[in-house]
Amino acid sequence: MTPDRFAQLAAAHGGDIGRWPQAVREAARSALAADPHGLGAVLAAESDLDRLLDLAPAQSADAALMGRLLEAAPRPRRSGGAWWAGLAAGLGLAAATVAGVAVGVASGEGDRLDRRADAILAAAYDQPEPDAAAELLDEATDL
Amino acid sequence: MASEGEDPDLALLEGVGRGEQAAVRRLLDARLPRILALARRLLADPYEAQDVAQETFLRAWKQAPSWRPGQARFDTWLHRVALNLCRDRLRRRRETIMAQPPEVADLAPDGEGALLGVQIGGRIEAALAALPERQREAIVLCHHQGLGNKEAAALLGVSVETLESLLGRGRRALRAALADLMEAVR
Repeated sequence: MTPDRFAQLAAAHGGDIGRWPQAVREAARSALAADPHGLGAVLAAESDLDRLLDLAPAQSADAALMGRLLEAAPRPRRSGGAWWAGLAAGLGLAAATVAGVAVGVASGEGDRLDRRADAILAAAYDQPEPDAAAELLDEATDL
Repeated sequence: MASEGEDPDLALLEGVGRGEQAAVRRLLDARLPRILALARRLLADPYEAQDVAQETFLRAWKQAPSWRPGQARFDTWLHRVALNLCRDRLRRRRETIMAQPPEVADLAPDGEGALLGVQIGGRIEAALAALPERQREAIVLCHHQGLGNKEAAALLGVSVETLESLLGRGRRALRAALADLMEAVR
């Protein structure tokens, strides 16, 4: 490696040969060994700039950002059976709610049916995927 | 640095794809600071850097369950996404600046105060921000992020020779802009 090429590489990659492209490191170290004073000065000058660049501000993640990313991360996948159980519970809940309202209005047994609806709701929320059941309930309510 | 085909994040990424919160935490601990630093140094704005880091990882969460190993290292993929998001923001910022020049903090040297750490950091950040975009990207990817020349060149879509030229010109410009501070680090 010529001194000019050594200087070119230092000007691009800085004063630490260990951070230069792998393919040129060995030749660069040989060149440095042959001219430690001259090429050492080249490296020293570039190392000054390296140290300055290291002072460019970085920043750490704050708790709010970490919290948002943790919250948005994938959740454990539900099994097929659990998914169907959640769906069935949700649909059953929606159907029971509609039927309960109809029967309650017709028969005047609103209190008893409300208690039944509460029981069904509790059962639905006991499923492995309560969010799915709740979403289905919301959708059914919006209809 | 990992060799080609060897992805140190693969096991964690698979855990993320399965919804394992411990894997999510470990991956964030390992990679979020790097992406935040990348965005901060490309954008010179802590708030925009947070937005870019957040968007980068939200995209990663979508990719994780279907991640196919062997295409790209996850760290490289993160860098590519963040780099593109930063470019989008810089493009929008240029359009805004043309319409209404923003207020810019005075980061010029002012005697004794210039040697304060915060002010030195501000000077360097401003000098980086003043570089042409490709030179800034080259320096941040290679010097600050520690990417190899082939990986950085691939991210920038240039040859390794062009990357070397971008690095050389960028460092020369930084040396000129920061000449008064060079003594301080000797």
